[in-house]
Amino acid sequence: MNNERLNYGDRIIYMEGVVVEVDDCSISVDLKGRLGFFKAPKRMFICDTEPKVGQEFGWNMSFPEQLGPEINEHYVSNIEKERRKKQEMSKRLDNKEV
Amino acid sequence: MSITAETAKAHAHDPAVLCCRAEAGITIEPANLEDPAIFDDLVDSGLLNLDGCLTIEEVLGAKLTKTCDSLAPLTADVLDGVKAPSVSAPAVEEEVAQEAPAAAAPAAAVPVAAGGMLKIHIGEGKDIDLEIPVGALGGGAAVAAVPAAAVAVADAAAPAAAVGEEKIVGTLTRKHFNITEVKRGPETKIEGTTLYIREGIEADVIADQELVKDFKLEIITPELYHTYSETVMDVQPIATKEGDDELGSGVTRVLDGVVMMLTGVDEGGVQIGEFGSSEGYLDENIMWGRPGCPDKGEIFIKGNIVIQEKTNMERRGPMAAHTAFDIITQEIREVMKKLDESLVVDTQELKSIRRPGKKKVVIVKEIMGQGAMHDNFILPVEPVGILGARANVDLGNVPVCVSPLEVLDGCIHALTCIGPASKEMSRHYWREPLVLEALHDEEVDLCGVVFVGSPQINAEKFYVSRRVGHTVEMMDADGAFVTTEGFGNNHIDFASHIEQIGMRGVPTVGMSYCAVQGALVVGNKYMQYMVDNNKSEAGIENEILGNNTLCQEDAIRALAMLKAAMAGEDVKAAEKKWNPNVKSTNVELIEGACGTKIDLVGNEQELPMSEKRRLKYS
Repeated sequence: MNNERLNYGDRIIYMEGVVVEVDDCSISVDLKGRLGFFKAPKRMFICDTEPKVGQEFGWNMSFPEQLGPEINEHYVSNIEKERRKKQEMSKRLDNKEV
Repeated sequence: MSITAETAKAHAHDPAVLCCRAEAGITIEPANLEDPAIFDDLVDSGLLNLDGCLTIEEVLGAKLTKTCDSLAPLTADVLDGVKAPSVSAPAVEEEVAQEAPAAAAPAAAVPVAAGGMLKIHIGEGKDIDLEIPVGALGGGAAVAAVPAAAVAVADAAAPAAAVGEEKIVGTLTRKHFNITEVKRGPETKIEGTTLYIREGIEADVIADQELVKDFKLEIITPELYHTYSETVMDVQPIATKEGDDELGSGVTRVLDGVVMMLTGVDEGGVQIGEFGSSEGYLDENIMWGRPGCPDKGEIFIKGNIVIQEKTNMERRGPMAAHTAFDIITQEIREVMKKLDESLVVDTQELKSIRRPGKKKVVIVKEIMGQGAMHDNFILPVEPVGILGARANVDLGNVPVCVSPLEVLDGCIHALTCIGPASKEMSRHYWREPLVLEALHDEEVDLCGVVFVGSPQINAEKFYVSRRVGHTVEMMDADGAFVTTEGFGNNHIDFASHIEQIGMRGVPTVGMSYCAVQGALVVGNKYMQYMVDNNKSEAGIENEILGNNTLCQEDAIRALAMLKAAMAGEDVKAAEKKWNPNVKSTNVELIEGACGTKIDLVGNEQELPMSEKRRLKYS
């Protein structure tokens, strides 16, 4: 299927990370070795016990590969809308606090 | 790794490959053979070539004439005393053999025709009519045998009639009111086909919940479908109970042509909705006509709720949004209760029919229960309401048994905001295709629907799935469906539910979106009958609302598969990789057997192509 577009898709690496935040909806993980951070829905984590900050998780992953140089304007406009909205909302919040 | 005699038997028709080096002169036993389950990968990677390879049943007991290395496929030139392959019994034959006992009850109800012809109609599954001259059965004694046979039939007929009789255990009447226009006005009211929503109702919504900080109401008519919108959290029917009627019985009034649609963000501008979203232009992001989605032409009463900063990821955030939004729906419900009967445009009667003597089936619907955006309110007082309902997370995600009519009367208020393409919104349950199909199928006896939540932790997952197993056992069901929405760790308990039901000897059909991205995490030997809800061209979560949810065509396939499983027929094993042709072949098979045409729903390809999708999927 779509993974035919990957050139290195079979380079699978074992990774580990540390849980840094758990909320009702998501789990945030710092990748060991200063390799970044990710946050994903709880339903995508497999847990034997209740997930807690400080626990370690392991998984296999590969390298994200660029699928092409094209810029998707739809996403750009969504991101821009999102940014403007956040700006407006935070202004509103600031005003309220004053 | 070598296999056991049991595995060898199960894989009798699969290729025979040595698991380790074997010396010439030995007799091939199961212990010498490799598990066929791993062959696909080996063949793919070029490590194994199965050309000319014999099957396991052919090689067992044969003598190896040449020393071979591990993973050597066994061919005729290295073996002595190869057995002839058994031909697997043709499916048709087996069908009749399996169907005949099932036909006993209906057969008794069919009188022996005076013309000396015994007619047996096998209603179960395949509509097979057998006509056998009575003389051929009884020989010379045919004439004398008739009275005796008649007595036997009469004896059998009494219980058979009791067994065969349909029993209506509940009715639900839906009275439809048509709405063609939605306007704002000084008070909430319905005049003719115009619904007015009180101006200033926004303030009540905001005041209702401490966490709700702002609220905006929009009326989206079909001309405005090309409007930008935040992630759609839920789509709900507007319905209310008449008088003191309880959910799932009596009369429900419903508005046609209009739906409630909830969207929301937190004060920081972050979407309420798990991750990813279907934000964008409505007409490019909604799969029209899916059970959970709006239909083209409907008006949306769309509320955008702003909740306290950072509560979007806490349970109380989305709960507050849903609760506050229900203020508007409730105000409309109050008005609907007073509507004059003359405005009813259509009356629909839904019946919960039990069919004793037919195969008893149960539908187990797994719903999300991991936390904030993975929750559902169960059994509110009003259809898809809030009041009186309990969140399944608070109930510990344990199985809750409901009647099919309760499902169709909106007993689930879905708080789920998982991937847009595979989530089941509140409206989905209101029009649940599997419940409708099973209820209307005269060959099965739908005994009920079980909702079970999917907890986060594995120990809890197995705790609830064991309860599911026992629940189904108590029902003495002959077959079961297990469905789930979305994908992820809920597939662990999905598999476990099927195992718990399957190990009690009840054939179980599993239904989920799987295809490419939602491929199952685990499996077990009871997961033989699976139906994929995928509709997207590429087999992925394509961010189009409702695209990969359970539709009528999936329900029809699942029913056909369960009937085949209950009749003891074999269902072919799935292919290693997702192949959309399996679905089309199955649809053709069902169309051929039933003589009906199954209309397949479209997918994202028929929506106006957004730039985003054009680049992403072309």
